[in-house]
Amino acid sequence: MDMQVGPILSALRRHKAGAVLIALQIALTLAILCNALFIVHQRLSHLSEPTGLDEANIFVIQNEWVGKASYAQLDAEARADLEVLRRLPGVADVTTSNSYPLRGAGWDDGIRLHPDQLTDTTGATVYFADEHFVRTLGLKLVAGRDFRAGDIGVMAAQDRLDPSQVIVTRALADTLFHGDTAVGRTLYLAGSPATIVGVVDRLQAQSVARWAADFAHRVVIVPRRLTSTLGTYYIVRTHPGQLAAAMRAAPAALVARNPRRMFDPRMGVLSFAQVRERAYESDRGMATLMGVISAVLLAITAAGIVGVTSFRVGQRRRQIGVRRALGATRHDIVRYFLVENLLVSGSGILLGVLLALAMNLWLILRFGMQGLSPAYLAAGVAVLLLLGQAAALAPALRASRVPPVEATRAG
Amino acid sequence: MLKMTHLSKVYRTEVVETYALRDFNINVKEGEFVAVTGPSGSGKTTFLTIAGLLETFTGGHYHLDGIEVSQLNDNARSKIRNEKIGFIFQAFNLIPDLNVYDNVEVPLRYRGMKAAERKQRIMDALERVGLASRAKHYPAELSGGQQQRVAIARALAGSPRLLLADEPTGNLDTQMARGVMELLEEIHREGATIVMVTHDPELAARAQRNVHIIDGQVVDLAEEPRFHAHNARVADA
Repeated sequence: MDMQVGPILSALRRHKAGAVLIALQIALTLAILCNALFIVHQRLSHLSEPTGLDEANIFVIQNEWVGKASYAQLDAEARADLEVLRRLPGVADVTTSNSYPLRGAGWDDGIRLHPDQLTDTTGATVYFADEHFVRTLGLKLVAGRDFRAGDIGVMAAQDRLDPSQVIVTRALADTLFHGDTAVGRTLYLAGSPATIVGVVDRLQAQSVARWAADFAHRVVIVPRRLTSTLGTYYIVRTHPGQLAAAMRAAPAALVARNPRRMFDPRMGVLSFAQVRERAYESDRGMATLMGVISAVLLAITAAGIVGVTSFRVGQRRRQIGVRRALGATRHDIVRYFLVENLLVSGSGILLGVLLALAMNLWLILRFGMQGLSPAYLAAGVAVLLLLGQAAALAPALRASRVPPVEATRAG
Repeated sequence: MLKMTHLSKVYRTEVVETYALRDFNINVKEGEFVAVTGPSGSGKTTFLTIAGLLETFTGGHYHLDGIEVSQLNDNARSKIRNEKIGFIFQAFNLIPDLNVYDNVEVPLRYRGMKAAERKQRIMDALERVGLASRAKHYPAELSGGQQQRVAIARALAGSPRLLLADEPTGNLDTQMARGVMELLEEIHREGATIVMVTHDPELAARAQRNVHIIDGQVVDLAEEPRFHAHNARVADA
C-alpha cells in the first residue's frame, strides 16, 4: 500500500501555515493533557487511601462548650460525656481526641532521635488519646501494647507536651528505625523523651494537603486528654448497622446531660463517610476542573482539525477529481487525508512530548510535583493520534465522494 | 477499442428530463485517431466523460477494450481509468503542489508500481515530451504549452490503451497548440488510440477520422452519407 508520504510532505511544505498551527495546537494540547491527567490521577489516588480506621462504623461529634470553666471542670465534663455516650444503644466504644484523620487541622510536631539533634528526623501528626482510642478507632496493634487507664494524663493546650510513653504508626517506626524493633526505643517529641510502648499498623494524619503528603501516615499517639475551652472531639464507634441511630441519639443525650453546649449545624455530628467526603472536596474539584479543561482543549483541537481538513478538502475539490480521474479509488482519497493528518499530528505530538516534559519539569521545580509517568505520555500520544484521525475522517470521507468528473469542470 | 451502442445519458430533475446523449453509437478501432467535434452543448464533453469512465450513463452499452463497463463498481472503474486510459484535459489539471516529476508519478502510484519502475517510466515520458530537465519544476514555473506537455507525459507514463483529450489546445496560443498537436500526431503514429474532443475544425482536420455530434447524437462524416445530403440541402438553401 502506497502511503504517498513523500508527495504529501511536499504538498504540506507549500501550505505550511495551517499545518504548523494545527501541529502547535496539538503539541500544546498534549503537553497540558498529559500533565493535567497526571495531576488528576495523583489527586484521585488519595481518595480511596485507607485511614486505618473502622470507617463504616465511626462518627465524630464536635462539642463546643458555652460559658467559662476551669480545665479540671472541662475534663470532668468530657469524662461524663464519654460515659453517657458509652451507655447509648448500639455504641461499641467512645474516645476523645484533639483531632482525627482527614479533619484537616490538628497538632503536628517534629520528632528527633537524639536530644542534641539540630533538626527534626521527621515531622509527625500528634493525636491525643485515652485508653479507648486504639480500640474505638479500630486500629490494629502490631507490636507492644495499648495504653492503660493509668497511663493517661490530662493536659491543657498551653501545657508542655512531655508524655513518657507513646504509641507510633508503623510508617513512623520505619522512618525512625528502618525496620528495627521500635517498641522500647526512645524518641524526642517537642524536645521531651518518650518510650515507644506500641506500634499500630496504620493511622492517617489529619491533613490530606500536599505539604503533609510526606508524613501522611507518620503519627505519634500520646496518652493525654487535651482540655480546651474551645471544645473537644468525641469519636464514637458503633456496632455494625447502628451508626445512623446512634448519630441521631448522641447529641440529644449529651444535651440532656448538660445543655450548656453547641453543635455546629453542618460540622457538629459527622459520619466518617462525610468526613472523607469533605476532606477530598477540593481534590475532587481540582480533578473535575482539570478534566473539564482537558475535554475542552481536546474538543477545540478536534474542531481545529475538522476545520483545517474541511478547508483543505474544499480548496482541493478539483485536485481530488483529477486524482480520481487518474485512478485513485475512494479509499485512496480517504487514506490521503488521513496520512496527511497523521504527518501533521505526528509532528505536533513529537513537539508535544517535549513540551509535556518541559512543563512537568517546571511543575516539579515550582510546585514539587512528581515526575510525569511515561504511561501518561503514551496515553496522551494515543488519545491525540486517535482524535486527529477521528476528526479528519469526516472531511476525508466527504473528499472521497468528490466525483472524478469534477476534473473536467471549469474553475 | 471503444464501442458505444444505443447509449443514452439523461439528466433528471423533478420536473424535466434532459438528454445529453440519445441513441449514441460510436466505434473507435485500435490505433485510430478520432476527432470529436460539434457545437457547444452538443454532448461532446459528456461523451468524453462517459468514455473515460468519469461518469456513468443511463442506458445502452459501452465496451472498452472488450469489457462491458456498465456493471462495474467504483473500484473497478478506478482501476480501468488508471490502467487503460490516459487523460489530457483542456486546463492541464496538474496538481499545483507537486513538481513535474511527482505529477507524472500520480497515476503510477495508484497502480502500486515499484519506485524503480516508476522512476524509469516518468523519466521516459518526460524525455518523450522534451521536459526531462524540468522534472523538479512546479507547474506554476512552466508555460501553458509546457504544462500541457507534462499532462501528456502523465497520460503516457502509464502506457494506456486509449488516450482521451478534451480540447487539449484550448488554453494555448497558436504556436504552443501546434507543438502539442504535433506531439499527439507523433504519439498516434507510434500506435496509440486517440480520441480528441475539439471545436477547432483545423485541429479536427488533422485527425484520421472526424465524428460530429449534434444534439447528443453522432453523425460520422466518413460513414454517414445522410450527413452529406443534409449538408448539401443546407448549402442549397
